[in-house]
Amino acid sequence: MLGMSTRHILLGLLATGPSHGYDLKRRHDERFPQARPLAYGQVYTTLQRLVRDGLAEIEGTGSDGGPERTMYRATDEGTRELSRWAGEIAAPAPFVANELFAKVVVAILSGGDPAAYLSAQRAAHMERMRELTALKAAKGADLATVLSADYALNHLDADLRWMSTTAARLTTLTAEVDAA
Amino acid sequence: MKALRADLRLAWELTRGSDRGEWWRVALTATGAALATGFALAAVALASLRGSYRVSVAAGLLDEPGTRSGVIVGLLLLLVPVLGFLGQCARVGAVHRDRRLAGLRLAGATPWQVRRIAALETGLACLLGSAVATVCTVLLLLRQWDRPTALAWVGITLVAVAVPVLGAASGALALRRVVASPLGWVRRVGPRGGRGPGLLFLAGVLLVGVLALLTVGTTSPAASNRPNGGPPLQLMGVVLAVGAGAVWLSGATAKATGRILAVRARSAATLIAAERLRDDPWSAARTHAAVLLVTVVGTGFLGIRQVMSDVVRTQRFSAPASYYTTGLDLTGAAIAIAFAITLSGLAVGTAESLATRRRGLAAQAAAGVPRTVLGRALLLETALPLAPAVLLSGLGGTAIGTWYALLAGRPVPWAITLVPVAVYAACLLAAATSLPLLRRSLRPGELRYA
Amino acid sequence: MSRPVPLLSASGLTKAHGRTPALRGASVDLHAGEILAVTGASGSGKSTLLHCLAGIVRPDEGSVTYDGRRLADLPEKRLSELRRTEFGVVFQFGQLIPELTALDNVALPLLLAGTDRARSRTLAGEWLERFGVRGQQDLRPGEMSGGQAQRTALARALVTGPRVVFADEPTGALDSLSGEQVMTALVHTARESGTAVLLITHDAQVAAYADREVQLRDGAVAPLGVTA
Repeated sequence: MLGMSTRHILLGLLATGPSHGYDLKRRHDERFPQARPLAYGQVYTTLQRLVRDGLAEIEGTGSDGGPERTMYRATDEGTRELSRWAGEIAAPAPFVANELFAKVVVAILSGGDPAAYLSAQRAAHMERMRELTALKAAKGADLATVLSADYALNHLDADLRWMSTTAARLTTLTAEVDAA
Repeated sequence: MKALRADLRLAWELTRGSDRGEWWRVALTATGAALATGFALAAVALASLRGSYRVSVAAGLLDEPGTRSGVIVGLLLLLVPVLGFLGQCARVGAVHRDRRLAGLRLAGATPWQVRRIAALETGLACLLGSAVATVCTVLLLLRQWDRPTALAWVGITLVAVAVPVLGAASGALALRRVVASPLGWVRRVGPRGGRGPGLLFLAGVLLVGVLALLTVGTTSPAASNRPNGGPPLQLMGVVLAVGAGAVWLSGATAKATGRILAVRARSAATLIAAERLRDDPWSAARTHAAVLLVTVVGTGFLGIRQVMSDVVRTQRFSAPASYYTTGLDLTGAAIAIAFAITLSGLAVGTAESLATRRRGLAAQAAAGVPRTVLGRALLLETALPLAPAVLLSGLGGTAIGTWYALLAGRPVPWAITLVPVAVYAACLLAAATSLPLLRRSLRPGELRYA
Repeated sequence: MSRPVPLLSASGLTKAHGRTPALRGASVDLHAGEILAVTGASGSGKSTLLHCLAGIVRPDEGSVTYDGRRLADLPEKRLSELRRTEFGVVFQFGQLIPELTALDNVALPLLLAGTDRARSRTLAGEWLERFGVRGQQDLRPGEMSGGQAQRTALARALVTGPRVVFADEPTGALDSLSGEQVMTALVHTARESGTAVLLITHDAQVAAYADREVQLRDGAVAPLGVTA
């Protein structure tokens, strides 16, 4: 996801009430299906940083007979920071560069076959889109799954459209790159 | 003047670039206008005569003012089916034309520009028809009549100019919806707007009625031996009432037939036809009303004719028998012409309804709805509402014939009961002329255009 | 693993509209129960390919075989019966009769097949229910939203239990959410009943509902970069 901030997502999960590290990781993976799963170590270090910055504090420790668990809770400043972040506009495409375009240009520079690359990339994109569509169209898919799949699908679709227009204009691009 | 020229050029370009339907509309409109001009010119020429003359045609019927005014009224009445026919022609390609003119509005044309262009399109077609008819009539007139009076010339000029002007005006008027909104055509829910042409038709009929009254009022007083004013006025009232009643009756029958059959339909063809009738019962009401009137008048007339020729053959009169038979024949010819025009209107209307729906029809055929089912639905659409209407009007006509026979103390001419049957058959044939067009409409090529 | 014989197969199709060639040697196979997307730019011959496969248009050259029968050998009457009973079609719009209610539109194919009116309407109602438009059953197509009309069209295409559904840009006139509902409904029903679907679209997100994709370019199937 774009400019994903683990700090703020954990703060957001804490907004519903105090929670411990393992529980936060489980809820994150549930709430954001299809996102890269959080490593437990990452949750732990992020929570420590939140405490250091005064955005969260330790509620207490308990063990419930199992391993020792530290409960965390958001501070008032943490709540303020969360609402600031949630309302903040994400910078729309701050850097116009991407891997697909870089590969096409490199293929032209090195005398490779950019058309073949684009075609193969297109097939891979379609395959991924079919997977995501099957996921969201499955009976009983919850809305969170549908929406997160939609997000990825729209981005893949944008890539695809960019690839088809680029494929159609490769000759001109090749001439331009070679001339420079 | 410059604006007019620009509009004229645009109207011409639009017509030239449009498909066959548009040319059909132009040709049919010109034909209708020619017929209207012809009838009106004949009426005017006769109306300009004062007192007694010797006219070499029509066995002396045109010699005396009394019978002459009858002929004039007959000619004017013939304008009614012609107007109905013109109304039907206006529907040919109406959807495409609406779309085109709405496109003009979207492109920034002002309402008045669109009106002018539409008026020019219709007006030019009418001008063509009126010019042809006028030239023919004048040539014919000059052979019959050595020196037509100034009044006759004025009348002829008036008619020749009035037909295209009225055509143009009605063309502009019928466009209210499109002119009001550039998107007028995008989505139509409920009955399609057939009201414009309907109102124009009624206005035209009224005009004819007033003209007929005037004619009778101005030519008849010369014949002081007959009562005047009262009877023609009553006649006009009856004709108008019967006409309006016929339109209402045929619309109502169509609606009722649709409603009753839509619920009970067992076959796909009946269901489609019934629902189409229920959806827009008024679309064919004008033509069907004309069929109704022609049936009543035709049946009644044949009855009267039977009785009268019987009387003429068996008794002696001051005038030669040909004087009466010619009168009867002329009336018969007028009714036959009216019937022919009505049938053409019916055929044109059916063809138009097909042309408008051709993309949908092609989609139906693509989905596997057999062509025969679509054809049957098309015929049923005409056959279903006409059956009760023709039956009723046939009964009315037979009643007139029977009443006249009883009045004259002659045998009742039962043969006239066959007239409604013949009319019904002829109507079905007229509707069936569209079946080849249906075949063409179902080509998958139609699927390619939105 | 050898694949089973395809249910519907076209080979070397060519077709011209007047002097404009639409297809130049297109070949495609559709297997039973498979959802196949045919994609390509405007004018690449997608719709013409569908028309040929569904027996709506006869190709100039090449042949279409359905279930072991060559469509070219069948008379028009038989083709139209085939389209009515074993195929279903959904277009972008226009396939519903504007004067009929949603219920009667869906009942129409059954009525044509000789089912009586009451039974047809009952079955049609069940299909409208499946597509979530039962509440609109007494509306005419013009009174429904685009999405509702398309779901009604799907119900009409599927009501006879066809083996193949041909869908030509079924979501072309819809917003993305309505399109999603239409596609989900189509895919679920097709999977449940084992109906094969030939889906024409220019939209990759719609094509992604299919099991497999065939790309048309200039009237022929374009080789895919990677064969799946």
